[in-house]
Order: sequence, then C-alpha cells, then structure tokens
Amino acid sequence: MISNDTSLMAHLLRRAGFGASRDELEEYLEMGYDGAVEALLNPSDPGNMPDDLIRRYHVEQSELRDLPGSAAYWMYRMISTTSPMEEKIALFWHSLFATGYAKLNQARSLLNQVDMFRRSGLENFEDLLLELSKDPAMILWLDNNENHGSAVNENYGRELLELFSMGIGNYTEDDVKECARAFTGWTLGNAEYMSIRAAKDSIWPYGRIAWHFEYRNEDHDDGEKTFLGETGRFNGEDIIAIIVKQESTARFLATRLFEFFAADEVTEGGEKVIHEMMATYFSSGYQIRDMLRTMFHSGYFKSEAARFARVKAPAEMVVGAIRMAGNYQNPALGIEKVSNTMLYMGQGLLQPPSVEGWHEGLEWINSGALLERVNFAAKELSDVKSPGVRSIIDRLEASSGDGVLVPSDLADRCLDLLGPIQVSDETRSVLVDYASRQGDLDLTGHQLGDEAEQRVGNMLRLVAATKEYQLA
Amino acid sequence: MSTQTQSPSIALDYVKTIGIVNNGLNGRGFANPYDTAVDGDGRIFVLNRCDPARASAIRVGICSLEEEYLGEFGRGNGAGVGQFVWVVAMALASKDRLFITDEYNHRVTVYETSGDYLSHWGVAGSGDGELSGPAGIAIDSSGDVIVVDQHNARIQKFTEDGKFIAAWGSFGSGEGQFNLPWGVAVDGDDNIYVADWRNDRIQKFSNDGEFLASYGESGYGNGQLQRPTGVAVDSEGFIYVADWGNERVQVLGSDGGFQLLLRGEATISKWAEDYFASNPEEKAERDLSNLKPDLPSHLNTPYHVSSQTEPYFWGPVSVTLDQVGRLYVTETNRHRIQVFQKR
Repeated sequence: MISNDTSLMAHLLRRAGFGASRDELEEYLEMGYDGAVEALLNPSDPGNMPDDLIRRYHVEQSELRDLPGSAAYWMYRMISTTSPMEEKIALFWHSLFATGYAKLNQARSLLNQVDMFRRSGLENFEDLLLELSKDPAMILWLDNNENHGSAVNENYGRELLELFSMGIGNYTEDDVKECARAFTGWTLGNAEYMSIRAAKDSIWPYGRIAWHFEYRNEDHDDGEKTFLGETGRFNGEDIIAIIVKQESTARFLATRLFEFFAADEVTEGGEKVIHEMMATYFSSGYQIRDMLRTMFHSGYFKSEAARFARVKAPAEMVVGAIRMAGNYQNPALGIEKVSNTMLYMGQGLLQPPSVEGWHEGLEWINSGALLERVNFAAKELSDVKSPGVRSIIDRLEASSGDGVLVPSDLADRCLDLLGPIQVSDETRSVLVDYASRQGDLDLTGHQLGDEAEQRVGNMLRLVAATKEYQLA
Repeated sequence: MSTQTQSPSIALDYVKTIGIVNNGLNGRGFANPYDTAVDGDGRIFVLNRCDPARASAIRVGICSLEEEYLGEFGRGNGAGVGQFVWVVAMALASKDRLFITDEYNHRVTVYETSGDYLSHWGVAGSGDGELSGPAGIAIDSSGDVIVVDQHNARIQKFTEDGKFIAAWGSFGSGEGQFNLPWGVAVDGDDNIYVADWRNDRIQKFSNDGEFLASYGESGYGNGQLQRPTGVAVDSEGFIYVADWGNERVQVLGSDGGFQLLLRGEATISKWAEDYFASNPEEKAERDLSNLKPDLPSHLNTPYHVSSQTEPYFWGPVSVTLDQVGRLYVTETNRHRIQVFQKR
C-alpha cells in the first residue's frame, strides 16, 4: 500500500520538478512536505553537469552557433540538476515570455535570458519585468531596437501589457502607445550591426557575437505620458511600477502559475487558490516564490483533484524519463537527438511557435506527438542497462523477500517505482494480464540483461506506454 | 592586449589573424579548430573538430601564414579507416607525418602531410598500451610518441608504430597525478609538460616520467589557471599555456614564474576581408560598432566577455610554436588562429 505521503511528495515533485526516482523521493520524504516545498523554492547549488565538461566535449555547446546544440545544452541542465524547480521556473517563463531563436540567430543571448529566469524567476515580479525589458534577446525579438523617440514601435509595449502582465481588456490603445514611448531608447549594444547580423543569420567572420543591454538617452522620449490614469515623464521603470500594482496583473500571474504548476483546467477549487495567490502577490510585495508557496500549501493542490490533472509538457516527459532512467549524466554523443525528439513532440526548447508560447494541456497530445512520446519513454525506461532501471530492478528484488514476484506485484511495484502512478482499473488489468503470461517473476541471482531483467524492462515499457504516464 | 610583469624577460608582438568560420563541409576557413601544427616549410595544419552538423567533414585543413588555402584531408566521421569522431590534438613527426588523437575512437591515427592515410593504433581499455580518451600528443627527440591518456589519468609513451614503452600517473591531485589531463609538450631537453586540466596546473616530468615540478593553481590572477588545455615550450624554456577557462594565454618562465598574458587582439583576416568586400553594408555597420564593450556585471566572466568581445580569445584551446618563434593560438569558438611573434 502506497502511503499518501509518498503519493503527495511524488505529485509535488512532478510539478516542481521532473518527477523523481525512488532515491530522490526518499530524500524529499525525509524533509517532510513543508521542508520539501522550501527546498524546492529555495534552490541552492544545482549540482548540474559543469559547463567546463560540457564545453570540453561539445564544441557546439561551447560556441552555441546553432540551435540544436544550444537546446541540448539546456537539456543537460534539466537532466542533471539537483534543483529542479530552478529549471521548471525557467521553463515556465520561457513559455510565458516566449522568445524564439529563429528571428534572433543568437543562442548565447537567448540562453542568457534563460539564466535570467533562473536567477530572478522566483523573486520579485517587478524586478523580473525590468530585467525582461532590458533583455537583449527580448528587445530584438519584439523590435524594441526599432522603438525610437522619433518613431515609436509599439510591439514590445503592447506585448508587455497583453501577454506578459495584465492581459487584454485591462488597458486602452492609448496606454499601449504611452507604454511604448516610455521604452524608447531601450536597446542593445551595437544594435544596428547586431540586427543586420541577426536578419542575415550572419556568422561571419568569426562566429556569433553575443548581446548586452544599452540605454540610449538621446533616443528616449522624455516627454509627459499618461498611463493607466497616472501622468508623468515616465521611463520604462515607472511604467513597470504601475503595471505591477494592477489587480489584473496579479490575476494574470496567479492564473498562469496555477495552470503551469497545478492544473490545466481552472475549476471552482482552483479559482479559490488563484485568489489566495493574488492576495499573497500583494501582501508579499510581488514575490513569485511566495505565490507558489501559497499554491503548494493549498488544500486544492494537495487534493486528489489536482493529481494527474496536467498533461506533461514534452520537456517534462522527456527530461523526466531520462532522469528516471539515469542517463546522460556525462557528456555524450546523441544529446542533440534527444532535444530534437522534443521538437517532434511539439516543444522545441528555444523555439516556441510564437510570442504566445506553447498551447499546453491536451493540445500537447495529437496522434503524431503521442506516438513520439510513448516511443521515447518506453525506449528510455525499458533499457535494463540504464542505471535508473537497474536501481528499479534491485528494489524489486529487495521488496520481494524471496526474489519472486507474482504478476500483480510486478505490475503494482513497477507503477509504484515509476511514480507512484495512479492508473485506472482497466489499465492495471492490462498490465497484470501481461505480467501473468509468463507467470511469477524470479529475480534471484539476476544478471545484466537476462530474461528476468528483460521482463522487468518489458513491464516498465508497458507502464511508460499507458495514458496515465503522460499525465503529471 | 597583453599584461606583463614589471620586467618580463619575454615580449610577444601581435602579427595577424588567420581564418574565418567555415559553415560548410570543405574549403577555406575552419570548423571549430582544436589544434594547429606548423611544419618546417611554414605550412599550417589545422585540426577541425567540427560540430555535429558538420561532423561528416572532420578534417585537417592546410594553409600558409599568408592565408593561401593549400588543401585539406580526412575521411569523414566514424570508426572506419582514417575516420574520426572527436579529434583532440595533433603532432608532427619525422617523414612528414601527422599523429592525430581521437578521444571517442580511443586511438591515434597517422596521416602523411600530403593527406595519405598511413595507419592507426590504440584500443580502448586501461591496460598497458590501451587508451581511454587520448587527448594531447607530442613527439620527443627520439621519435617516441607521448599520449595523454585522459580517462585513465596517465601519460603513456609509445613507439611511433604504437608499441607500448611506458606509462605513469593515476587519478588525483597530488604530484604526478592527473584529473582529465589534456595537452602535452616536450621541451628541448625532452622533458614533458602536461596540461592537467581539471587540476588547473601544468606538471613537468622527465622523459621517463619522474615528477619534476608543478606550475599554477586555480584562479583568475596572473600565474593562476582555469582548465589549461594546451602547453608549449620554446627553446629558451618559456612555457606557453592555453588558459582556456580564463579565455587567455599565459607565458611562464622556465621556473614557472608568470611573465605575461595575452587576451587576444584579433583583426580582420584576409579571408574575412574577402567576405566584407562582398557584404559592404555589414562592414559599414561593423565599423561604427564598439566590439570591445563594457558589460553588465552578470556577464562579466571570461567566457561571457569573450562571447561578446570579438577580438578576444574565445575557446583558446591550443598553443603552437613554429621554428622561428611565432606563437599560434587556436580558438575553437572563433574558428581562427591569432599569431604572435616573439621579439
């Protein structure tokens, strides 16, 4: 019988992380739920694969000239981190403040943006919006380098309000114009040369040149502006200070965090949590970490209603399977193929489909993507040579007492060790029937790749192919 | 740009930059170069590691100091005869031969400088003569081949046809121990210098493996190192170190004392001039740009500074000396070689 503590902790780690092996789960269980929430929300040394090792073996991840190597670089980080919330919050902001490689042709700067999400993504929302507005990848992505005091480009100003903070319907067209005016002169260093290089995808003569923020006072419109009812000679910082005071901003942010970390659909119970998160937003002075703490401690989040209430995003699915299998712990050929696989599932890192990010939830699942997902997870989790799978085999043997598992135990224990994953009676019955075909499993004296181990691999493959495995 | 001690006994003048990124599968330019060798005729051999997108064209390119493109050779990506996966380093031997290490295939491949494949030797393992991730390679005065056996944390010496002679070292940070060692060089007295990469130091050994000295420690200051990848020693005993993690080159005296450091000062190569001749609008904006900008504090690490500062070294992975005192610094991430001349 799986304890509720174990199920709840696994639930937390699917949302604030990428799921957990049984070893990880036990470490977090020792902290207790409250301790685990704090550990996740306060990332310490992520202990991820060191950059020097990555750069030594992967020249493409050192130079970051092209997209595949750059996406793979982030994959390594997700796979090897011991602070998974840091990567999840970066993924959240990458989806919300969606910035894509295709227009920029500058992966180092895009990855610098992801670093900024790690550094500031759990902190103060006002500071985060300020960093975002100074982020050179965002500036070029939304044309703020073309936003001049003498000729306003509204693109960034509009998306800042519509997609990044308040949401449509909470401001006027005049507010958009005034917002854009306030961000005139916010550009990147050597903007003209860098935008030519980006437009031409120029790598000449000596590869990419990364970007940094530059403020050009002479290009800034310092005139009086009226924004959301307030008037002054506003610069970008003033505009952000006004944005974060709005209730619509609190609702927008709370809802997006809820949908990413708690449930794809907002029910009545979810709506109550969102209100609590909005209250925390204001009482904490716009602290994102505090909003998430409120959510993780809510009765709704801990309830059965929130369990398996999200479809895993491809990044969660792929990284979770690799972490469970214990693969790619050192630099290795083939990591680009893994990140390409995510693209085929509909989520290429650093290449969101548009500024609106990815459409999540059930939209992750179409027949082609589902096949890719099932094939990937099944292959990853059925390889009995993988360290994580070996650990599962060892645990199965240890839990059986005499080394022998009856078919229902084999199915139940595999579901437990890959999650615990809750499945329908129908799904469980399929798994048990499958296990029964070869009778009891005797793991006594098992050897690498022998028939007994292969039976475990096959059962893990089947679990990975269930619809329940696709849910977080 | 160079920083010197108050009275360095060596001076290096910047000469020029050779190279341009090669985005295709052949022709002039470089593709993530990892090492350079220069023969007595001044021919410059450049070992192109190549990223996965261009792995089918892993090759040695040949050019002159004047950037005349002289050709290239290789047999593509894989474990077949003459093929490579992860090339690391290269050493010129007598009879116009190049010995090339491949840390993925765990072997040394020998080509003639004309491009004809000759042989390969080495098998994966940890026994005498077996290799695990061979990295740096050098030839001593008697023609023996010194190979950095990276994952076995040791140095091995072979005859030129791959027969095992000797091995020394183990994993660790003590004297004579290694942590993922990379480059290697031999001085005029046949002493052996190893870039002990993850121990942030250079170790010096006699030709038969007796530990003699250790130079450097972890850090960012003068004489301190971050992941040194390459080493070279000139006829006066000056030690040139590719201080890769610090994105710079340092020159140490024969006693290991700091002499000077180079940060890089690349200029437009001949091949780059050709590119800009046909892209004048890009050149016009470039000329108006500040390519050595001040950066915000969160980007103020050597790697980030180099990613944004085109003249500086970025991925300076190897240092090579020719017979007339020129220093060639190979930059993986910038696909070029900066050349300096000892005054």
